[in-house]
Amino acid sequence: MENRNEQILIVEDDQQIRNFIGYSLKQEGFGCTSAGTAQGALSILVSEQIDLMLLDLGLPDFDGMEVIKKIREWSEMPIIVVSARDQDKEKAAALDSGADDYLTKPFSATELLARIRVALRHLHRSSTTKQQTSLEVGKLMINLEKHAVYLNDDELHVTPMEYNLLSLFFRNIGKVLTTRYIIREIYGIAYGSDTQALRALMASLRRRIEKNPAKPRYILTEIGVGYRLSDE
Amino acid sequence: MLITVAIVTAATGIGWIFKMSGFPETNIVIVYLLSILIIARFTRGYAYGIAASVIATIAFNYFFTKPYYTLSVNDPSYLITFMIMTVTAFITSALTSKVKQNALEAKEKEAESVALFHLTNKLTDAADIYDIAGITTDTISSIMNCRAGFLCFDESGQPEQSFIQQQSEGKQVWRKVDDTADLKHRIDGLRDAYDVGEEFYDWPVYGRETILGILRIPKETAVTMSEPLKRLLRSMIESTALAMDRFFSVQEQQKSREETVQERYRGNLLRAISHDLRTPLSGIMGTSEMLMDMTDKDDPRYVMVMDIHKDADWLHSLVENILSLTRLQDGRLTITKQPEAVEEVIGGAIGHITKRYPEYEITVKIPDEVLIVPMDAKLIEQVLVNLLDNAIKHTPSDREICITAMEDGNKAVFLIADRGCGIASSDLPNIFKMFYTTRSGRGDSQRGIGLGLTICEAIVKAHGGTIDGHNRIDGQGAEFIFTLPMEA
Repeated sequence: MENRNEQILIVEDDQQIRNFIGYSLKQEGFGCTSAGTAQGALSILVSEQIDLMLLDLGLPDFDGMEVIKKIREWSEMPIIVVSARDQDKEKAAALDSGADDYLTKPFSATELLARIRVALRHLHRSSTTKQQTSLEVGKLMINLEKHAVYLNDDELHVTPMEYNLLSLFFRNIGKVLTTRYIIREIYGIAYGSDTQALRALMASLRRRIEKNPAKPRYILTEIGVGYRLSDE
Repeated sequence: MLITVAIVTAATGIGWIFKMSGFPETNIVIVYLLSILIIARFTRGYAYGIAASVIATIAFNYFFTKPYYTLSVNDPSYLITFMIMTVTAFITSALTSKVKQNALEAKEKEAESVALFHLTNKLTDAADIYDIAGITTDTISSIMNCRAGFLCFDESGQPEQSFIQQQSEGKQVWRKVDDTADLKHRIDGLRDAYDVGEEFYDWPVYGRETILGILRIPKETAVTMSEPLKRLLRSMIESTALAMDRFFSVQEQQKSREETVQERYRGNLLRAISHDLRTPLSGIMGTSEMLMDMTDKDDPRYVMVMDIHKDADWLHSLVENILSLTRLQDGRLTITKQPEAVEEVIGGAIGHITKRYPEYEITVKIPDEVLIVPMDAKLIEQVLVNLLDNAIKHTPSDREICITAMEDGNKAVFLIADRGCGIASSDLPNIFKMFYTTRSGRGDSQRGIGLGLTICEAIVKAHGGTIDGHNRIDGQGAEFIFTLPMEA
């Protein structure tokens, strides 16, 4: 059992799920605190050092979105949102308000731990490697200084738009980016919410970097929510 | 007639007294004119007034002009007196009759208004359609002094089996209609007119949209009905139709209000189910998974825990399926179509499936050009997951399962083909039916309550597409094809 120092806060109103998550995390060596309400969570956050938060969107006292916004006022800590399957809108809104990732109930412990690891890695990376010019995921590499993309060490020709899109993902490795967020970053606010152009751009980028665009290795689609650059 | 004679005689008598008293003859003429006025007032129509004018002139000639007691005159100037007297008498009697006529009409109109007012007044208190029919029957029966009837029509515009009839003051009975089909046939096509039957004259009562009923007036009353009475009857029918229409629209409002309330209850119930079932299931699945991790694979307990996990997983997908289906089958699920890349949706579905069945390899064939189709991506992903899940259940893991997507004219075609055991011909017509599961030989070993394909069909249909499943022609296996329109 490896020993990690990270302290994780579980905010979930169901006792069983809290127990199960807590147990899985302790197995992995994480420190773990839990709260059943948003109020409880906020009071823990001000008194203890927390590295990551798991937040259930269906809390009895406060709207999950409000909690995220409040925390984002003073903390950059990774927040992973937990929700039921048919809450895509809430998920996207939570991500837009600053959550890093989401999990859909029921999830497996393996899935949960994988997400937590990604989020923590992302946290460390963004704090230590901000100035890094070259980033890589699997066989895909991007050089932010040279504006160049490499696949299997061969330089890959991409259009400027495709490069923008790809670099946006590399700056947020492992994180789910909502369709709305990507459109705003790539096309600007004025573009509205027309998804068709983004879908087409994504398809052409995938045709360059993926072996089979319908079974992507790098940029994964989160249907109804957005995309994520997978780093496993 | 008697009045006419009596009054003219009386006028002659008064004239005689005047003559005796030595008054001028002009006074006698005035007395005659007065008598004519009185006659016109108290008799019906023009006839008596005109007759009286002529008789008065003759009487004046006979009794009061020289030579007396003859119809001849000595003084020709009397001829002019006669003429003027006749004409004046004519006009007087005509005018009087006219005034009387007007007064009569006004009286009739007033009676009509009063009757209508009473009817509408009573109709506002009516509790239901039969109440309205009863009130109309009662009011019309008392006005016409007959035993009227009312036959209601049902919502589909068909006559009901029995009608209300007035028996006596305050007493109504239900009577069976002999031949509703025949009656309906006779009433069809009538608008303002009425139908002449053996026992009744039938007036159709039309609402805003459809026929509401028939008002039945007994034949003997109907034949003698005067024009004003018929007019009154039509107005009353109109009021009845209005009242019935109003009643129906109130009922409609009530119904839609109730539906809204029910809808809210239903929504609350669904939310409660989804939350209260999903959450503990998530707990069971997570905990059992953890137990599996902690148990040695050779330990018999490992298999038991795995079974718990599998059952919980199955229950969970059942809950999700039932929820999707209730939402879809209400027709209330509003699908929000957005342009989506087909490859992404297929990729998403395969992602789900490989998480569940890592041992299966799924082949994907998509066109080189990106295929963008307006759809609700989440729902179409669900269709693909269900179809793949179905294929995997019937196919060993070493055989091929393949998804193909292509554009065909103005629609996108998705094909999910497997090399499994195929569909038994006895099952083919039923595969999309709710709760239908194959009975061919498998017994209880493969569970499922057959919601998967029903959901697929509902989702695809909601998108305006088609879905079909059959066995492959090129060898073993089944294939499912669904299409989506390319235009939103």
